[in-house]
Amino acid sequence: MNRLVNIIAVETSPLISEGLAGILNKSGIHCRLSIASSLEEAELLQAKQKHELIIVNPIFLNNNSKLFHSIKSRFERVKWVGLVYALYDQEIISMFDALITASDNPSTVTDTLNKLLDEENGTEQGSLQEILTGREIDVLKLLATGNANKEIADKLNISIHTVISHRKNISQKTGIKSVSGLTIYAVTQKLISIDTIRE
Amino acid sequence: MFHTKKIYFTPDLKISEIIPDNPYLLLFFEHFGITLPVQDKSLETVCKENGLSLGMVLTFANLFNGVTQVSDPELSFDDTKAIILYLKNSHEFYSGEIYPDILNTIEQMAEVNDSSEMSLVKKFFINYFSEVNEHLDYENKVVFPYVLDLYDQIKNGEHRKKRKEYSVVQYRDQHNDIEEKLDDLKKLLIKYLPQKNDRMLRRKLLYSLFELDYDITVHSQIEEFILIPLVEKMESHLNQSK
Repeated sequence: MNRLVNIIAVETSPLISEGLAGILNKSGIHCRLSIASSLEEAELLQAKQKHELIIVNPIFLNNNSKLFHSIKSRFERVKWVGLVYALYDQEIISMFDALITASDNPSTVTDTLNKLLDEENGTEQGSLQEILTGREIDVLKLLATGNANKEIADKLNISIHTVISHRKNISQKTGIKSVSGLTIYAVTQKLISIDTIRE
Repeated sequence: MFHTKKIYFTPDLKISEIIPDNPYLLLFFEHFGITLPVQDKSLETVCKENGLSLGMVLTFANLFNGVTQVSDPELSFDDTKAIILYLKNSHEFYSGEIYPDILNTIEQMAEVNDSSEMSLVKKFFINYFSEVNEHLDYENKVVFPYVLDLYDQIKNGEHRKKRKEYSVVQYRDQHNDIEEKLDDLKKLLIKYLPQKNDRMLRRKLLYSLFELDYDITVHSQIEEFILIPLVEKMESHLNQSK
């Protein structure tokens, strides 16, 4: 697996979180781990950047399962992993997609996480590919030469909604969000020439 | 793999010991008017010497070191002036120092890299720079005086005066825009802009962009998690005392 996986661990014990970081480091999973010290902090991190996995010590769910449910429904794509080293109510444990425990050996931890990541890959096929489709290139060319969403929709005979969805994909694939930035991208990729850019 | 290392500030931490862990903190202290050298002074001592409340500086410093603020920070209305000072000083750093610096590097780059893409990058940045200045100007001339005025009204026990309201939403949108374009520029330089004799200048440019990005990210967090809630508190306080 080559793509970068963003992971949050909600855990206050440095012994545990550093240990987890060490295991991940040797796991072959290409990942970036952020440590949060509360569910709220994890929520903020997640709002700022998409993380695929959130590993949570169930202790944060005690008296706080409402918040957990609301975060869970807000970020549907996220896989939730319980990091268990004490006894918890089955009701709490069942809220997770998978569990790792403090007595797991490193390869078990890695396997558990890889399994979840593979599932995720299956449902999201294609969107990680960074090559633009023909239609996306059409939209990008028109966008870069100064056309508004409505004009693009008319010229390509598609709905504005479709234009917006293409634009979203273009930005996701290229990593560039602003129209002026995408214009430069289009020139670097020789999709448009500099003199077709409308002032 | 990258592991986010967080250092929690405590009052007795020596500033000289914490800076090597996160050199960007130099800027943080500058924004509060604290300059080097600091000898072996602790955070607490420096706060006292500069008339800053320790609680507020700790909140800011932890935010700056990547510890995201979740609960309501312990701030009093009396911290208002220092918060505004911090924000104003960072504006001064943006418009008076780092943006002109970046523009200068981009101009040098455009001299050695004569591709049409590079000329577009230069234009992109010039437009972006003027957008940023407009935003900073708006904050300096509208937002900050508004906040300071609220504070004065509280201090003087006045009732809330009717003032033209400014929109906090509009204000947030502008921020996102500034960070987004900065990010676009970094991506273009790293991923797409053709190389033409600009290896060294491009690296310098990217270092500056990362430095700016770091400061601006914290800056908007401070506005979002500290300034805006404080303003809301002041407004409701004034409304209650009607």
